[in-house]
Amino acid sequence: MIRRTVALLAAALLLVGGLTGCNAGSGRAANKQLIVAGSTTLLPIAEISAEQYRTRNGGAKVLVSGLGSSAGIEAVAAGTADIGTSSRDLKEEEAGLGLVDTPVAYDGIAVIVNPANPVDGLTSEQLRAIFAGQITDWSQVGGPSKRIQLVNRDEASGTREAFRKIVMDETPFEKHAAVLPGTGQVRDVVSRSESAIGYISLGFVEPRFTSRRVKSLAIDGVTPSDKTVSSGDYPISRTLHFFTKGQPKGLTADFTEFVLSPAIQDRVVVDAGFIPASRQAGAR
Amino acid sequence: MSDGSTTGAAEAVATEPVKRTPAVTGKLKLMSRATYVKEGVLATVFFLSAFVAVLGVALIFLFVGWKALPIVTSVGFGEFIGGLEWAPTDGSFGILPLIVGSFIVTLGALAIGTPLAVGTAVFLSEIASPKVRAVVRPAVEMLAGVPSVVYGFFGIVMLRPIIAEFSGGMGFGAVTAWLILAIMIVPTIAALSEDALRSVSPGVKEASYAMGATTWQTIYKVVVPAAKIGIIDAIILGMGRAIGETMAVVMVAGNAAVIPRTVFEPLSTLTSQIVMDMPYSTGDHRTALFGMAVILFAISMFLVAAVRIVSRFGSRS
Repeated sequence: MIRRTVALLAAALLLVGGLTGCNAGSGRAANKQLIVAGSTTLLPIAEISAEQYRTRNGGAKVLVSGLGSSAGIEAVAAGTADIGTSSRDLKEEEAGLGLVDTPVAYDGIAVIVNPANPVDGLTSEQLRAIFAGQITDWSQVGGPSKRIQLVNRDEASGTREAFRKIVMDETPFEKHAAVLPGTGQVRDVVSRSESAIGYISLGFVEPRFTSRRVKSLAIDGVTPSDKTVSSGDYPISRTLHFFTKGQPKGLTADFTEFVLSPAIQDRVVVDAGFIPASRQAGAR
Repeated sequence: MSDGSTTGAAEAVATEPVKRTPAVTGKLKLMSRATYVKEGVLATVFFLSAFVAVLGVALIFLFVGWKALPIVTSVGFGEFIGGLEWAPTDGSFGILPLIVGSFIVTLGALAIGTPLAVGTAVFLSEIASPKVRAVVRPAVEMLAGVPSVVYGFFGIVMLRPIIAEFSGGMGFGAVTAWLILAIMIVPTIAALSEDALRSVSPGVKEASYAMGATTWQTIYKVVVPAAKIGIIDAIILGMGRAIGETMAVVMVAGNAAVIPRTVFEPLSTLTSQIVMDMPYSTGDHRTALFGMAVILFAISMFLVAAVRIVSRFGSRS
């Protein structure tokens, strides 16, 4: 409901923006406005950044909406948005649109098990088979003879969506898995159940408000870390992009720069469970 | 045009009560005019309160039904009710696993909760001394006042690890939901059963004791059978409470929309699936959720009807 309202509001604002012809072309006049549209995964980062940007540059209008990555790319290509945010890379047919990519954060999904579980790593195929319900016992992947307890996320979860796309390919999830409605719950249950396996954003693996620990598994021999995720070596990772039509300039460039500054990267991005793009400057 | 004469007759009938009115107001003249107005206003206020409740039910039913209607055309009633696959993002909207889940959870909770609750009621009405009753009764009533999210929290933090230890699973599933729901329905069933037990006439009990029956024999052979109908009503209402419970169930059931293979495996219910999916559902998916609400509505209407039928049956015999 809220999402739809936001979408409608954004659509209305986009329309107004288009009609008045406001564009962040040149200069930093306070009455210019910037339209940021796209990924719901990036929405929290974009919204908090916009809020802080507004308070810092009194009067600057930054309008943020989350309509999905594809909608964001479409909007920036069509010129109805200044920045298109996306949690996926450009598709082949979008490559020729003249969009410039600025990675603002990296997202890695860690596969977590109980620290008491002797299994340290899985291959992508094993992981897919486990979550599809084809491998049901830890002994089949080199662990003790114990039934695997699957923990999945609810369908509204962006993490589930990313995991489904990257790991599962077209294989359906095992339907008997427990479905928990939050990262915190998945982490808690796995930390307490010796034979459980789940997945959460890498940023939430280390304990924050609890002393309970979980262990992240190496996938295809790569341990998830800030480094392996941002370099793309860790298989279950994705880049969160800002796409602009041509090189960002004016207000667009200023806002992008602000999002890449430590104020956003080290606080907002980290709090959202993502890996800052700035920490990996020059990686790609 | 025979209508003309009928209308005339109707008017004649209608005028009759009007003629009587002066006589009635004549009596009411004993009241002051202010009192008379106040009485009238109060009657209206109470009528409106009742009317709002009825209107609320009617509007909700119409709204939910209207919102749910498209699922019948887009998915089909049989496919919706009887389908085994609930995968809304893939376009499968079969809610049979959820209906089965709701009944597994409810019937299990009743099986555990009913003996507890009826036992409590018998204890309170037949055995407990007034002093003991003064402690136990408020305690049981207090159970009804605990918010269901607190039960859920208790379930997930305290009960789940114990069940997990015992079953070797994760502790999400029917058993955990049963235990939590059983405690939740105790106050409903106990309070209503106690009323039923108390309304058994003292003469019947005294006759039993006079014939040398022990307390247990009196309870088992006389009081409980006499209060049978009231207790059955209480159980049906407890069932309504259990089948509609949402928050506590979402937290402990594990929410897998499948018919579970064992009672220790995750399952989902109509209510918990609605609350999980509502925030992000669109299109057919949302319509399907409204369809599930209609099913819940139908179940609870059936339960209310069952109470009425049982009560009527009881008063006749």
